[in-house]
Amino acid sequence: MKARFRIQRYDPEQDATPHLEDYEVDLHETDTVLDGIIKIKDELDGSLAFRRSCRSAICGSCAMRLNHRPALACKTQVSPLVTSAERILVEPLANMALIKDLIVDMEPFWGANEAISPWLAAPEAEVSLERESLMSPAQAMGIRETAQCIMCGLCYSYCPVVTTNPKFLGPATFVKAYRFIADPRERGKRERLRAVSGEDGLWRCHTIFNCSEVCPKHIQITWAIQQLKRMAYLDRLGLWRPQEAKGERR
Amino acid sequence: MSRYSWNPIHPTEMRTGTWAWLLHRISGLGLVFYLFLHIWVISSSTQGEAAFDRLLAALQTPLFVVLDLGLLAAVLFHGLNGIRIILFDVGVGVRPQKALFWGVMAFAVLVFLVASYVSLPLIFRA
Repeated sequence: MKARFRIQRYDPEQDATPHLEDYEVDLHETDTVLDGIIKIKDELDGSLAFRRSCRSAICGSCAMRLNHRPALACKTQVSPLVTSAERILVEPLANMALIKDLIVDMEPFWGANEAISPWLAAPEAEVSLERESLMSPAQAMGIRETAQCIMCGLCYSYCPVVTTNPKFLGPATFVKAYRFIADPRERGKRERLRAVSGEDGLWRCHTIFNCSEVCPKHIQITWAIQQLKRMAYLDRLGLWRPQEAKGERR
Repeated sequence: MSRYSWNPIHPTEMRTGTWAWLLHRISGLGLVFYLFLHIWVISSSTQGEAAFDRLLAALQTPLFVVLDLGLLAAVLFHGLNGIRIILFDVGVGVRPQKALFWGVMAFAVLVFLVASYVSLPLIFRA
């Protein structure tokens, strides 16, 4: 099967602006877009730069824009895209600075996530290095959805609020915050909620749902954001009891 | 090194949620504009009965009935989608947001069609 690609190229040492280049490779019907890009790098142009690691939608490295839609290249089958007359358009993620070809600087994304201390806040007496901190299956169900996040950055790259306000914490940070606030072992729930409900936090979200549309793990990110908003205004009214905040099952 | 930019309101980028947001913003701005127009029309009543009657007569011409239907469309969408957004803010209906959007659209179009039918005699007067 012939697959025709159109890939955005940019070498900061030579190019003033990015440009598009066309490639054609033979692929198997079951191949993914990532397989195609790897083959292009192997056989046609070794200078093509992109991130990839696991090739099975768990590391989140190969996040890019395919035919205008942010997606994991390893989780996108090539055959439905080949049937169209157009070439498969491959571009880097938006909302972040371009480094080279399909690689963007994800520092703002990691920085936003760091702002909420994305680790479990629990007293040492309750967390032991010798054994696991157990949850009941019912409790685990409460965070099952948001704990799926692989931090690929697709949601961040497709959020129009990030486009207009680079300081906005972004969807993935809220998912992480929700994941800990809904965790029964967590003790820093109120601080965490307040960390995401400031000026560049939750309230900037316009419920445009782009994040939920592109999440490769099908997390309903906007749902988590709206749950956090509800907790935040109850907190302001003095009506929020953090230790009762449980993840809600669908 | 600048951020790699994109245009969130380019048609190829827009999904249901963006359409809902954009239509809400446009209809909202339209309604703000209408509000000022409305205050201006009502304030002409301070210039006497005859002046006010003349203005109201002009506003009942077919052209303004059509414009009124445009106003109705904006009110319908903005109001109904506003309810959709308020539901989101209390954490209700977030997952079925697309179904809610199409529900809003269907109801708005239905009411608009009924209103348009009722208005036909006012637009095509003999």
